Amino acid sequence: MKWASSCVARSRKSLLNDRPDAPAIPLARWAGRQLLQLAEETGSKRIAALLGETLLGERAVLNDFTIPGRQSAGGGCRLYETRDGWIALNLARSDDRDLLPALFRDASLDPRDDAGITSAFSLRPSANLLTQGRELGLAIASTNEEPASPPIALLAEGQEVLRCPENRPLVVDLSALWAGPLAGHLLSLAGGEVVKVESRTRPDAMRQGDPALFALLNQGKASALVDIGTKEGRVALIGLLRRADIVIEAARPRALQQLGIDAREILDSQPGLVWLSITAHGASGVAADWVGFGDDCGVAGELSSALSEAAGATGFVGDAIADPLTGIIAAREAWRHWRAGKSSRIGLSMSSIVASALAEEQTCDPDLVAHELVEWANATGTPFPVCAMRTPEGVLRPLGADTTQWLGDGAC
Amino acid sequence: MKPGTRLKSVTCDTEVMVIRCGVGVIECGGSAMAEVKPPEATALNPGFSGGTLLGKRYVDADGEYELLCVKSGEGSLSVGGVALVTKDAKPLPASD
Repeated sequence: MKWASSCVARSRKSLLNDRPDAPAIPLARWAGRQLLQLAEETGSKRIAALLGETLLGERAVLNDFTIPGRQSAGGGCRLYETRDGWIALNLARSDDRDLLPALFRDASLDPRDDAGITSAFSLRPSANLLTQGRELGLAIASTNEEPASPPIALLAEGQEVLRCPENRPLVVDLSALWAGPLAGHLLSLAGGEVVKVESRTRPDAMRQGDPALFALLNQGKASALVDIGTKEGRVALIGLLRRADIVIEAARPRALQQLGIDAREILDSQPGLVWLSITAHGASGVAADWVGFGDDCGVAGELSSALSEAAGATGFVGDAIADPLTGIIAAREAWRHWRAGKSSRIGLSMSSIVASALAEEQTCDPDLVAHELVEWANATGTPFPVCAMRTPEGVLRPLGADTTQWLGDGAC
Repeated sequence: MKPGTRLKSVTCDTEVMVIRCGVGVIECGGSAMAEVKPPEATALNPGFSGGTLLGKRYVDADGEYELLCVKSGEGSLSVGGVALVTKDAKPLPASD
């Protein structure tokens, strides 16, 4: 794997903040090195100006989050003690709780009763809960699991094209929330033309849920809206995908298949196309269908077990940390493969990216990582470390403002 | 039937996880589903052969039953002879 690896020489000094005693966000240095490398490869001054702690911490600072303990910074994910370990369960979606009686195989469980849920976890072994939860489509992780997939997997390759260095890629971003849109944003900063495509019936909920972060991640992108429930919509979308240089999607494989979108077939018809499949735990095999979000993927990526080992505390590290780390790596992989001109489908596993970043930091400087984790645990409940905050420089297009230009008249 | 029970079709490859259920008989391809798959398949009833889709949730009109398809097959799901319908995809979270 080609991470930006020389630990010390390429680290950048953090900007001083107004709380010099605030802890560093663990893995922010690693993120900074990857950003620096992305800046070098793309020649983007705007990426060069970004700091790792900014991308890892900006959501938390925008929302006044505190350093998390057993409840994630954003509040949607919790760590529960089981009979033999700890499980992180993310109940971010409104109807996730309806699945809890099935998770515990107990019809009498009240899914709104948090004490009852805590008690149900304590009676059961982690492995059974993990298997059942993943089968039910819950975002669930154990502090004691090995990554199911490599962080970056080359899933398919196709034909090659010659790239002119002055070309800029057309990026079609089908993803929502944080990791995929951040990848699209970094590609936009690198000079790509990015079209964010949203489903008319399921648009990116972050637009309303977190408008400030949404504006940062989606500035400078065109906005197209498609009705994937109609044949015209699906045909228009597939037509756009066939013209793309880079596609970003973060869906489970069956979701695309059921829409009639076949990445392999589009890859074969579009020489040089780079197709990124971002998933929680890998984009092939059984793990491709496991759901996950940034906080539970951080747990699956062994960050909470590292925290426990270093500090004796049980808690989350960072704010949905798998999201920004994955966004950075996804952008870099996309750029590299696009420049190489060989069509390829690349699977990115959010939990494995966290695990690899942690392993690399621990190899570089185990004492520093342990020290940062101890400081992090000691600061639980205090405000998130203030990072170099930024404001959007690019225009945020209204939802669907560019539909006709990119998808034609019948798409929505 | 407990929620969380995994049921298998006796007529096709379909498997479901029970999310919620009443006391009626859960069927696939026109025949009652079972926790253990019998060695010999029962013939698929053509009236219940629309197929199941992996990852879709199937519900009845009263909201008494909800099944998650964990393996797709050729049969379609019903309770006491009344077909179940797919539920809309889960809304995305507003942030994660």
